[in-house]
Amino acid sequence: MNAQPQALNVISLAGVSKRYGNVDVLRDLDLTVQRGAIHGLVGLNGSGKTTTLECILGLQQVHSGSASILGFEPRHLYRAEGDVVAVFDTPSLHANLTVRQTLSHAAHLIPAQKKPSASGVQPPRSVNEVMSLLGLSRYASFKIRSLSLGNRRRASIAHALLGNPKLVLLDEPFNGLDAGGVDEVLALIKTLNRDFGTSFLLSSHQLPYLQSVCSHLSILHDGHIVASGSLDELLQGSDAKLIVRTPDIARAQALLEKLDGILSVVSDTGSLTVTLATAKPAAVNQALVSVGIPVDELVHVRASVESLFRELTSASTDKSNSRAIAS
Amino acid sequence: MNRLATALRAEVFIARYSLGARLVVLAPLLLACAQLLIVALGDANTAAQQTLIGEETVATNGYGNWVDSLVTGFTALGLLITGYSAHSFAADRELGALRHRLIRLSSRTQIVIVKLLLLHLLALASLLLLILGSWLLSTALWELGPVIEDGYELISEGEILDEIHLGLRLAVFPLPAAIAFGVLLSVVAQSAMQSLSLALGLTLAFDVFKTSLGDMAGYVYARFQPSLIDVSYLGDVARLARGYSDVLIDERLLVLNLWSPLPAFLLCLGLSLFVVRTKNL
Repeated sequence: MNAQPQALNVISLAGVSKRYGNVDVLRDLDLTVQRGAIHGLVGLNGSGKTTTLECILGLQQVHSGSASILGFEPRHLYRAEGDVVAVFDTPSLHANLTVRQTLSHAAHLIPAQKKPSASGVQPPRSVNEVMSLLGLSRYASFKIRSLSLGNRRRASIAHALLGNPKLVLLDEPFNGLDAGGVDEVLALIKTLNRDFGTSFLLSSHQLPYLQSVCSHLSILHDGHIVASGSLDELLQGSDAKLIVRTPDIARAQALLEKLDGILSVVSDTGSLTVTLATAKPAAVNQALVSVGIPVDELVHVRASVESLFRELTSASTDKSNSRAIAS
Repeated sequence: MNRLATALRAEVFIARYSLGARLVVLAPLLLACAQLLIVALGDANTAAQQTLIGEETVATNGYGNWVDSLVTGFTALGLLITGYSAHSFAADRELGALRHRLIRLSSRTQIVIVKLLLLHLLALASLLLLILGSWLLSTALWELGPVIEDGYELISEGEILDEIHLGLRLAVFPLPAAIAFGVLLSVVAQSAMQSLSLALGLTLAFDVFKTSLGDMAGYVYARFQPSLIDVSYLGDVARLARGYSDVLIDERLLVLNLWSPLPAFLLCLGLSLFVVRTKNL
């Protein structure tokens, strides 16, 4: 294998397949996560997001394919000395421990090689530092079982961050969090990524949150990746739309259909939906006004992860259905 | 080695706050002490009745009572440690705590080894507390000494202590196998409740049917554990300490008691390590 890509990627999956009984959950899955990236893994419920994370973490055996995480095989991930951590969908903490005890326990999981005595290694954060970072100081003496789901999730994240990990995998990190909690987690991810270079792989179906934090995205559908890349690249390929409201729908449609840089014009009740290729909204407006067509409203609907996701997953589902019908 | 020590420290940390671990360590001692106190109350009652009717009271030799309490403690310890072993791995898997250890610190093999080490430490702590605590209470309640009848020393204190020592050794030998059996069930089972029920169910079922199995029972380590239907040598020692001189250990059973737990331990350990390698965690 070429040394360069290995150094750039913190996660490399190639041709990974996983089956539960007769059901193929992952099919020939390829996924790479670059060092320093905040990489989102999106997919519908049951698309295989959690299974993908569990295969990466060595918690499930894959049937075929290869995986490398920070240069380690998933089943030898413990050799990464705590550089890889995960926060799971359900906070997996001992309910009868207090928050402070839980974090002290996490400190016990940090291998001796990573403790401050070892030279050249960034020392782990202290329990107090992490509690303060996650806003858990006032809950220090609360038992985990008495915390709200949101605070339990905070405690899970704090549990993961103690050892200064290089790669954090988060499975559905926004579940159970209120709007404030989501903002805090998003801010924390951005801070850790910017200030410490921590790489993240986030699995979620909450697309707007992912769009606001991720630098890269992979869309998982039907057990394999249907699109992957940086957010900018992915959204560039996705079409922006313009909604035009005008009293003169017929003339406007005829004009816009002839205009360069426009993919399609669809007439709806009292409005036109214009799919843009290269044309700019201002040019569309000018074209209409210059021939005396009044424009009541012009709304630029930017390309979003959500629209891209819908586009790709419905296209993929259509293909699958066609295949099924053909066979 | 460092990683193993770190993992063991993390396990001990959790055990310090676990009700199950506290039960394993303290319940055998508490039950043994409760039994000693109940017997002492009974003795006091008998002595009071004898004094009332003008009979001379005879001091009881405490060794018999002490060994009885040890049998009770060992019975409780055997059941508790089997149950706790069966619960441990499966409960951690259910909770998801096992995943953190697997990702950050230990291999699957190390996780099983560390569990076994912790369970042995708990059993050892429990045994030390049981023996020391029940001995202290026995000496406080009764006189411990030789068996004397009609002015003759039937069994010397040294002989009694030798037999107690042998009985204790023979009762301790099956414990590692019981722990490994619990861990195996814990690794194989789908849930903590399933493994706990299986472990206690199988242990109690064997206890009930062991006499029907005859000589075959000797090949199962649990035959030699003090239990509810007790046929262990420690139970016989209690009779010896009360002056029954017919207590003899069968040489064949002695050999089986010493050797049958070892293959059971190795088999359960080997199977646990094999299963855990491919188990979805």
